[in-house]
Amino acid sequence: MDAATLTYDTLRFEYEDFPDTKEPVWILGRKYSVFPEKEEILLDVTSRLWFTYRKNFPAIGGTGPTSDTGWGCMLRCGQMIFAQALVCRHLGRDWRWIKGKKQTDNYFNVLNAFIDKKDSYYSIHQIAQMGVGEGKSIGQWYGPNTVAQVLKKLATFDTWSSLAVHIAMDNTVVMEEIRRLCKSNWMCAGASAFPTLDSDLLYNGYPEEAEVTDRLWKPLVLLIPLRLGLTDINEAYIETLKHCFMMSQSLGVIGGKPNSAHYFIGYVEEELIYLDPHTTQPAVEPSDSGCIPDESFHCQHPPCRMSIAELDPSIAVGFFCNTEEDFNDWCQQIKKLSLIRGALPMFELVERQPSHFSNPDVLNLTPDSSDADRLERFFDSEDEDFEILSL
Amino acid sequence: MQTFHSSQSVRPFKMRKSFATRLEEVAGIRAKFPTKVPVIVERYHREKYLPLLDKTKFLVPQELTMTQFITIIRSRMALNATQAFYLLVSNKSLASMSLTMAEVYRDYKDEDGFVYMTYASQEMFGCLLPSTGGKLADHLLTT
Repeated sequence: MDAATLTYDTLRFEYEDFPDTKEPVWILGRKYSVFPEKEEILLDVTSRLWFTYRKNFPAIGGTGPTSDTGWGCMLRCGQMIFAQALVCRHLGRDWRWIKGKKQTDNYFNVLNAFIDKKDSYYSIHQIAQMGVGEGKSIGQWYGPNTVAQVLKKLATFDTWSSLAVHIAMDNTVVMEEIRRLCKSNWMCAGASAFPTLDSDLLYNGYPEEAEVTDRLWKPLVLLIPLRLGLTDINEAYIETLKHCFMMSQSLGVIGGKPNSAHYFIGYVEEELIYLDPHTTQPAVEPSDSGCIPDESFHCQHPPCRMSIAELDPSIAVGFFCNTEEDFNDWCQQIKKLSLIRGALPMFELVERQPSHFSNPDVLNLTPDSSDADRLERFFDSEDEDFEILSL
Repeated sequence: MQTFHSSQSVRPFKMRKSFATRLEEVAGIRAKFPTKVPVIVERYHREKYLPLLDKTKFLVPQELTMTQFITIIRSRMALNATQAFYLLVSNKSLASMSLTMAEVYRDYKDEDGFVYMTYASQEMFGCLLPSTGGKLADHLLTT
């Protein structure tokens, strides 16, 4: 234990340290063991961008709220999962935040995209105002799907990141849709935004087939809103949920306990590890030099944990696939997952949209009058009728 | 979006009818329509955002897929594509969208012979803080 532990000690009453366990700790696709890697685990957690309630920020919409305490927790969780996507996109999964160490411009660009002011790409201001289009007035509570839909819209303005954001509805991921999305408009949107790939190509001397394909792929943020039960999570999904944190493409999960949203970044044994937005901090203003005092955007105490069984069934699972190869690998892992006994798939992966999905005949399926005529009213008279659907 | 009150609840189908009545009903309807599956579709009792369907009992062609069935229900409720809508079979599981109704019936039918499906959107998250009383009242009014 070294100097870094001193800060944790002062908070130890409030935040329980990791349990002494031989079971692995999974954090966003990385496997650790508590002994001897506790410091690495905490450094990984601290490196995530932590967004909490803030107060005294510029009024939303000029005259609206200046604090999101009490209503902004799911919006903050949406910011955290999206910030993780931007970190993977611009800094990489291996990037670490070290207190007091000078960070790169790219890091400050990512952080700046979430600062509480009206013109940041993904600020609470932008999210709350874009939510109006989803039927949410400013200050209203969001669900995981609400914030995912809003972030998808906001991402179209972020030409710096040039992300393809896909939200898989009806617990179905259609591979064809994702490939089409990631391969569209890449040339115009990404030409200047991807200098690193260009230099890789130069470094390697000649562009291989695979590299050309890579360049034609917009980095993918895949969000899958789900409902894994009505009141409680169906236990049959727990194993599959754990596996989501084991994939290298993992962006974690947004969800929570009833009424409290959390950003889940991993698990150990039967507990989820999460970052909690329920602390109100004063808003941070960038200095004139453009530098942002960033310490309050990193959670410097051991992360919170809760039993998986306590999870509210409404969640959204997130993945980031920087290249087409990442996406193909993700598909392979999901297919393998469906073969694990006792693990019920949370969503289905299909090559293309199930047949007749957009066939208007299906939508026009109405009560069939000929069938209805055949159906004599031999049931008790106060009974409601069957609605008979015919192809 | 339309507003709905949680008080607008209906007793669940299973509570409205005895087991014997339900059993008899399925036997009768299956005899008349052997290629159709009897399905009960009900709203989750704590659902605040999705409307009530005007029908509870459906007879669905057995070759229809879950995708197609959900498309029908979604269009009945005039939901747009980005709205969260989940149909949980037997109050627990999200049925795979590529399953046919015959397969769903085989895997999930209740002992009374109906398949039970409950629909719900997603929960919303926020804290009930005393200082946000105004906001909370706002929230309750608008949902």
